[in-house]
Formats: sequence, C-alpha cells, structure tokens
Amino acid sequence: MSTHTYKKFESSESGDLPDKMTIYQSCMSEFNESQINAKKCRLLIARLLRLLANGETFPETEATALFFSISKLFQHPNDSLRQAVYLAIKELSGISEDVLMATSSIMKDVQNGSDLVKPDAIRSLTAVLDESTAFSAERLLKSALVNKHPSISSAALCTSYHLLPIAETTVKRFANETQEAVVDLKPFPHKNIVGDYYPNSTFITQYHALGLLYQLKKNDKMALLKMIRQFSDNNMLKNQLAKVELVKLVNEVTTKDPQLFIDFQPLLNDWLSNKFESVQLETAKLITNFATRNSRLISSELFAAAITTLQSLLTVPRTSPKFAALRILNRISMVSPEKIVVCNPELESLINDSNRNISTYAITTLLKTGTAKNISSLISTITKFIHDVSDDFKIIIIDAIRSLSLNFPNEWKSIVNFLIDVLKNGEGGFKFKNNVVEALIDIVSFVPQAKETALENLCDFIEDCEFNEILVRILHLLGKEGPSTSTPSLYVRHIYNRVVLENSIIRSAAVISLSKFALSKNDSTLTESIISLLKRIANDQDDEVRDRATISLKFIDSARKSNNQEAQVFIESKYSYDLSALESKLATYISSDKDSFSTPFDVKAIRRFTEDEAKAMELRRKQDQFLKGNLENGRESTPGFTEESAIADSNENSNFSGPSLDDHEQDLLSTKYVDELMSIDQIKKFGSLVNSSKAVALTDPEAEFIVRGVKHLFKENVVFQFNITNTLTDTALDNVTLTCTPENPDESQLEELFTIPIVRLLPSEEGACYVAFSKSEEIVMENFLNTLTFTTRELNQETNEPFEGDEGFQDEYDIDSIFLNAGDYIKSSFVGDFSSTFDELPNEEVAVYNVKENISLQEIVDRLIVNTSCLPLESTQYASSDSNSHTLKLFGKSALKGSKIAVIVQLIKTSKGIAMKAQGRAEDVTLCADLVNGLM
Amino acid sequence: MGNFFSSMFDRLWGVNKELRILILGLDGAGKTTILYRLQIGEVVTTKPTIGFNVETLSYKNLKLNVWDLGGQTSIRPYWRCYYTDTAAVIFVVDSTDKDRMATASKELHVMLQEEELQDAALLVFANKQDQPGALSATEVSKELNLVELKDRSWSIVASSAIRGEGITEGLDWLIDVIKEEQLAA
Ligand SMILES: Nc1nc2c(ncn2[C@@H]2O[C@H](COP(=O)(O)OP(=O)(O)OP(=O)(O)O)[C@@H](O)[C@H]2O)c(=O)[nH]1
Ligand SMILES: [Mg+2]
Repeated sequence: MSTHTYKKFESSESGDLPDKMTIYQSCMSEFNESQINAKKCRLLIARLLRLLANGETFPETEATALFFSISKLFQHPNDSLRQAVYLAIKELSGISEDVLMATSSIMKDVQNGSDLVKPDAIRSLTAVLDESTAFSAERLLKSALVNKHPSISSAALCTSYHLLPIAETTVKRFANETQEAVVDLKPFPHKNIVGDYYPNSTFITQYHALGLLYQLKKNDKMALLKMIRQFSDNNMLKNQLAKVELVKLVNEVTTKDPQLFIDFQPLLNDWLSNKFESVQLETAKLITNFATRNSRLISSELFAAAITTLQSLLTVPRTSPKFAALRILNRISMVSPEKIVVCNPELESLINDSNRNISTYAITTLLKTGTAKNISSLISTITKFIHDVSDDFKIIIIDAIRSLSLNFPNEWKSIVNFLIDVLKNGEGGFKFKNNVVEALIDIVSFVPQAKETALENLCDFIEDCEFNEILVRILHLLGKEGPSTSTPSLYVRHIYNRVVLENSIIRSAAVISLSKFALSKNDSTLTESIISLLKRIANDQDDEVRDRATISLKFIDSARKSNNQEAQVFIESKYSYDLSALESKLATYISSDKDSFSTPFDVKAIRRFTEDEAKAMELRRKQDQFLKGNLENGRESTPGFTEESAIADSNENSNFSGPSLDDHEQDLLSTKYVDELMSIDQIKKFGSLVNSSKAVALTDPEAEFIVRGVKHLFKENVVFQFNITNTLTDTALDNVTLTCTPENPDESQLEELFTIPIVRLLPSEEGACYVAFSKSEEIVMENFLNTLTFTTRELNQETNEPFEGDEGFQDEYDIDSIFLNAGDYIKSSFVGDFSSTFDELPNEEVAVYNVKENISLQEIVDRLIVNTSCLPLESTQYASSDSNSHTLKLFGKSALKGSKIAVIVQLIKTSKGIAMKAQGRAEDVTLCADLVNGLM
Repeated sequence: MGNFFSSMFDRLWGVNKELRILILGLDGAGKTTILYRLQIGEVVTTKPTIGFNVETLSYKNLKLNVWDLGGQTSIRPYWRCYYTDTAAVIFVVDSTDKDRMATASKELHVMLQEEELQDAALLVFANKQDQPGALSATEVSKELNLVELKDRSWSIVASSAIRGEGITEGLDWLIDVIKEEQLAA
C-alpha cells in the first residue's frame, strides 16, 4: 500500500472515521481468503479497532460473523497479526458471546508462542475465560506466573487478578506462585545479539504480584501482617509502585485495627525518608490521616516528621510531588490548621507559583491556617489573583473563604467585601457564581452582624445577574431575611424592580418574596404599598405570576382581617419540614393504592423544625461537611487496593458505629425508627413524640449480637428502642427481649409498662425490641442495666426454618447500660450571637469535674456534644491537640418547653487528668441544673 | 493448449492453493490427537478443545489447512461457522463409545445436510481400534448409517491415532478423491 493511499484512507488526523460497512465488508472478504495477507489484515483490524474505540458497535449477527472471520486468522503464524487479533477479540468480547471459541487457540499461543506474543496471549485470556474454562487454564497460568521473563509473569499476574471475580476457586490456588513472583526480581533476558535492546527492568512484576497477593489474602489479617513484615525487610521491593502499595497495606491494616499502629511507627519513620518521593508522600498521607482519626495512638515526633517531609517536598522543583504535598497539607489544614503553621513560609512562597493549581492550593491552605490577625492581608492577596485562575480553583478558594466566615465571624467585613467583589467583577460560570452566593447566604444566616451589608450588596448584584437560578435564590433569601431588617422598604424596591424588568420565572419568585414583607413589623404603610404592588402584578400577562399574586393577596387579606393563622403561616413560614421524611412519605403515598388517594396526605405526620432548629441542623451539617470532606478525601487512598474494600468499609461504619453515621443517613434512619415506633398501637397512645436520641452502640461492633439503643421521649412516657442485629449465619433468635433494670431500683421514678419482643430474628437481620415506661412530666434521669434474652434455634439450611422438634437454648447476654440523661430533654438549636444570648439568660448553674480517664480533649468534647444534645457554636467543637485547654460553647432548647439553654465548658488538661468547669445558663432552672450537674 | 492446461493445473494444484479440511466428531473421539499425529507424527497430550486448533501441513506436495474443532456439546453449534470453502470433512468416532454412536450419527447427518458442505468429501475414522471391545469399521459404518449417504464420496477407515495406524491410509484416499473430483469439475 502506497503512502498516498494509506493517507487518503486513514487520514487519522482529519478525525474522519472509516465507513463502518466498508470495513465490515473488507474484513469479511480479506479474513476468509485462503491466502491470508498478514499485513493487510493487520491494517484492517486497526481500522476496525478505531471504529470500536469510537463507540461504534455492530449488530449481533455482524459481530458474530466478524468474530468468526477474525478467528480464522489464527491459521497465520505472523506474530504482529496475532497481536492485532488478540486486541480485536478483546474488543468483540463485549459484543459477541462467541469469543469462547478462541480459547484453545489462545491457550496454544500461551504455551508455544514466542516471547513477543506470549504476554499478549495471556492478557487476552481475560476476555475469553469463564469459570469452567479458567480451570483448564490453571496449569498454564501457574507456570506463566513464575516465568523468569518479567513481561510474561506480569501478564499472568494481571490476568489472574482480573479472573478473580470470574473464577475465584481457581485463582485462589495461585497464592504460592504469586508469593514467589513478589520475591523474585526479574530482569529482562539479555541475549548477546547486537541490536537486541531491552531496557532495564523496573521490576513492575513486584507491583502486580503484590496487588494479586493482596486480593488473595485480604481477609486474613495475620497474612497481611506477615506480608508487610516480609516485604518491608531488606529493601526487598525494588519497584516504586510496589512500595507505595505496601504503604497502603499498612494503612489498611492500621485503619482496621488502630492499636497496631504503634508497631509500625519505626517503619513509617524510615519510609518518610525513602528515596522515592511517592513513598514519602504516601507515608506522610497515611500518618496524617491516621492522626486525625486516632490522635492518641501516634507519637508527636512521627507526626512532626511527616510534616517536615511534606514541608521539604514543597520546595522541590518538580510540580507533581509539590502539588501532592500541598494537597495533603491542605487536608490537614481543615482539621488542625495549627499543626502546619510551620509550613507557612514555604506556603507563602508558593502563592506566586507559576502553576495556578499550586498557588490556589497554597492560598486556601494559608487561609485555613490564618488567624484573626492575618486574614485581611491574605484576602487582599487573593483579590489580586483570583481573576486569573480557572473556575474550578475559584470554587476551591470560595469554599475556603466560606468556612473562614463561619470560623471568624468578626472578620466579616473583609470577607463580605471580597465575595461581593468577585461576584460583581469576576468572570465566571454559573457554578462559581452560585458558590459565591451560597457563601453569602451562609453569612446572612449565621453571622447576624453581616446580614444587612450582605443583603444590600446582593440587591445590587441582582440588578444585572444573568443566571435565573441564582436570581431566584437571592429573591427567596430577600423575602426570608428582608422583613426583619431595619429597612425593609429598601428591599421591596429592589424586588419590585425585578417584577418590572425580568422574565416570568423571576417575576414569580419576586411575587412570593414581596408578599412576605406584607405582614412584617405591623408597618401598615408598607403593607398597603405591598398590597397595591401585588394588585398591579395581578394583571401580569403570565399565568403563574398572576396566580401567585392573587393567592398572596388573598392570604394577606384573610391574615389581616380575621387574623387567620393558617394564612399567616403560608406567607411567613415559621417552620420547615424534614425534607427527607417528606419525600419518602410522599413517595409511599403516591405509589400506594389508588383508593388511598381518597384520604388526603397527612402532612402533620412529618417532623417540622422551627427556623432555629433548621439552622442548627444546617450549621452542624456544614461543620461536618468541612471535616468530613477532609477525611473522605483522605480515604480515597485509605482502602488502598480496591474500591470494593472502600464500600465494605463504609458499610461497616453504617452498620455498627452509631455516632459516626452520616448526618443525612442518621436523619433517614431516625425517621424510619419513628415511623416504626408510631405504628405500634400501644405506643401511639402515649401521644406525640417529644424527642428522640441518636442511636448509641451498646455492644462491641464485633459482637455476635449487635445492639444499638435509641431513647424516645414522650410527655409522660419513655420508650427504649433496642435494635438488634443477628450476625450468626445459621441460627435464628426467637422471642428476643430486653430486661431493663434500674441501677437503683428503690429510687426509680420510672414504672415499666410493657415490653415488645422480637418474635424471630433470622441471620443477618435487624429487628427492634421496645421497652416502655411511664414517668412524671418532670425531667427524670436514670441508668438502666440491660440484659438481652433469647432462644437460639438452629436453622435448616434448605428451608431456613428451625429444625422440627428443636427446642433451642435459652441464652442471656449482658449489654452496656443505657442512660436517660438531661441531654435527652434537649434539642440542639442555633443562635447567631452566643455571648450576648448567654449573658441574657436568667438562671445560672456551675459545676466542676475532674476527669481521671486518660482521654484527649477532643474525645471529651465529642462526648459532651453527644451527652448534651446541644449544638457546638463558634467552631468550638474542634479541640486543638497541641493545646492543653479548650472552651466549648453549647446551645440548645428544651424539648418539652422550648426554653433556651446555653453552656460554656472550660477544659484544662493537667498531669492528673482533665479539669472541667461547666457554666450553664437557661430559662428553665431545673433543666439547667440537671444538665450542668449530669455532664459526665 | 499446453498453456491452457498448465494454467488450469495451477489454479487447482498450484503452490498457492490450499485445501481446507475440517476434523469433526464428538468430544474425546481423538480429533486433536489425529491432527498432531498428522502434523508432527507424534502423540501429544491433549486437553478438551475449547474452540479449535488450526494447522497448516504439507502432505504429498499439497498444502492442507486443517481445522480441528472441539466436540463438546457447547461447541458443536459453532461448527457451522467454519463450513465455508471446505474441501473435505474428517469425522472421527470413538469406536469404544457404543453409548454415543447414535449421537455421533445424528451430528454427522445434520452436518451433511448443510448447503455449504454439499461438495465436501467425507472420511470417517473408526478410531481407537487399539482398545479392546472397539467396534469394527463395518460395525461403526452400520451404526452411523453411512450407506444412506447419496451423492457423496465417502469412506470409513479403522484407525488408532495412538499407534498411528490407518491415518495415512485414510488421508491418501481423501486426497485422491479430492483430486479426482476437482479435475472432473
Ligand atoms: N486408546 C486410544 N486413545 C486415544 C486414541 N485417540 C485419542 N485417544 C485419547 O482420547 C482422549 C481424547 O483425545 P482428543 O484428541 O483430545 O479428543 P478430541 O476429539 O480432540 O476431543 P475434544 O477436543 O473435546 O472434542 C485423549 O486422552 C487421547 O489420548 C486412540 O486411537 N486410542
Ligand atoms: Mg480436541
């Protein structure tokens, strides 16, 4: 084929794809020739592959025909044609079932092929083998695994790795060969032929072998430990990636069992100065991630060494290690910014790095380590530079600023100015602008001092904002916050301008927003002008706008005239619904029988939150997001080898450790619990539910029966819900109940009413058992000792029923006690200005504790937050591990009466333990005393 | 005239011409063993063929392109994908496998129905004659109902792939028939 025709046909640069049918026809005729032209066929296959790579497919009959004609090329012994054939088979294996037919031919190549095609043949086995045929390839693969040629061994390792999910039993027998492949250093064979060039081996086989070996051993902790011990010895691993995997292996093991970490510290310390930068990075990542989760189990020297390693990587000339080190530091900065302050000089010199990705990360990291003192100077540096970076990085910067605004509410002026500046003057797409607006919304909601400035500037911004979605959000915000400002009329003017100038979507939003001003402050002139504006709008050309105006007028009218509460709520909604519950209830309602539509949807069954409660939840979610975002990012490397184990890990979390549940999940779960609870007739009689606690673990997560407790509070009753998971595989539990005995039976003020047992709990099922008590209306605090009782019944594997005539064994099992404490009578709540609220509250109670347990300040803080059910404010939920003291500010409301309670807890770490002084102030004297005196 | 003849001869027997031959039969009949007996003259250890083996071999100055297809039930449906341009089919029967003679017969006759094989010659090997209790070629022929075959050149030869008996005799017959037929055509 001449270059000329080649170009014309191929013209790969023009991007034109060859015609599908032409290629198909040529394949069919060329491949079925009795005399095969290897070069032509190879070219044809290349074109075919290009088609397939571009997402073209063939109908099944054509794909089958193609496959069979390609399979005929096996008669030609040309190596390079053979390689093309393997690739084609691999691609077609997705479309055609018939690839099975290539099995024997490929296996023959694996056995007798040249060193050139052998690895390729081995790799293509992945596409054709299934469980039964893999068995017949066992011997072939085993001998390839231990082949001295690195490419052959690597190919066999990769193939086995991919076969594992397909033919587990076969691959499980490869452990010895795989182990041998890790240990065996395989250079390329050098023949003494001039021009026979082989590069130096990177010993990548070790990496492949380690990956497979991990898959084979991952459920065997002892074997993993042995692997680490063996392969970290004597520099046995030469390959860089293999070493990194080994670090990840340590990570995996220590994540599962943090107590092991201490033994690895010397090893990790060595790795921090490994000759490969990637090993240094991975090790530093492991150490710092581990420290955020288990600060007590890690020596401060090791942590400092990790930071030093990262610090020195910041100054290397190569971009990628620099970037990677920066990212790790950035993560640390989100949880413990004080720990990386030492890197500030290096970080500052990176602000002007020519690589914008690096400079952005440097600046956001600095922002985290920022103190009230240097924030405004940092912000002015960013202002100069934010316009030069891409939207993605702008968003990262905005997010950093956003968390800053929550952490340093007093710096709101420079922050708001900055945000307004980028909003008005910055170039950027929807996502970026939306992020800026979101940051401003946060400030409006959580930093009361900044509210009016931010709102006024947002008003200016909507004068020429090109994004409908953002405009609508801002209009909603103005409607929500505007009426309570000092000059509502200012906002009315801005909103009304939108009605005059914008499209119908925005006009509709503006109408609702306007109507919210009508009832505020009993300012009758304002009300009158709103009404006349709405009347004007009621003639709008758009249906939706008209409808909204008309209905708003109606509501305003009836709210004023007859003081109609319902109408008032429609205009100024004081509540928001639990959206996840609302969604799931609506979904069930819609999917249930048509008949049931005759009964209207009952919105009262959905949990409602007052504005403060909603804000409290929102803030808590945000705080968690910043922290979790960080940990999760850290995780991406944590599970090490596969996503599979990441999923397994997260499942583990959601199943076992109550308090660390994701908040949203927690919400869903509690909604579900409440639903189940309220569907029980005996309990329904108790009236409406006042408060439910989070689920707390009452057993080891590894116990045979995992129990978690939830406390439900009613006006005159308490119900303990015990969720029991049966982790046995072949035994059911019958008649599962809990006996709750008060710790001091003589003084108990609770009277047990009834217990609802679980009739049968099948293996791996979760069920709930309830114990109900009556109590006085007062706050009652008590401890209960709990015993789980049940009858075990062995199951017949076939029927999944107990064997007939098997009486079973009665068994008992003591689990942790459950505390009904003052915190159970409190709901967390938000307040914008904690100090003045605290000072204004009338009743004070002070208590002093000395905690002798050897725990960190952070652990005490966590415990206090859970025990009090209060919301930590002003970012006091993070205790610095470097400091010996901490102050925690908590705020909540009585679940029974809605009265406010605020607590300041000062913690000082001494050689004898932790001294703790709690100062509570509340509207309710008893609640205050009970809470402050029952903290621990 | 001489010119014409030589060009026709070239077309049929020229250096470039290859004959496509299929080896079919139930699993375990000895197909793969026969293929390698022909190619390298030795008995090789075989595994059940998942798919096919294809070898090019020279036999009496001819190039044979021999396809040995797997005989397992799951693979038999794919036989038809390889029928095009086939000059001859070698059908191998395990003469000791009396229980499955009927199956073998059925597969054989179904295969021969195929349009694409109308002109193909058929050689049956009554294989594994070295084993005690093996049916003779005549008995196998009866079991397979070979007499019923019309309009086809066929022959049955008793063979033992292990001992190398009968194989070349069978192939010699096959080559002769093919030559004759193609000349006649
Ligand atoms: N005793 C004896 N054994 C034979 C003879 N020919 C083949 N075998 C054996 O029969 C078994 C199957 O032979 P193969 O050649 O693999 O059979 P196949 O027809 O290719 O089988 P599939 O690939 O599954 O269709 C092997 O153990 C051979 O050694 C023979 O003439 N005599
Ligand atoms: Mg075979």
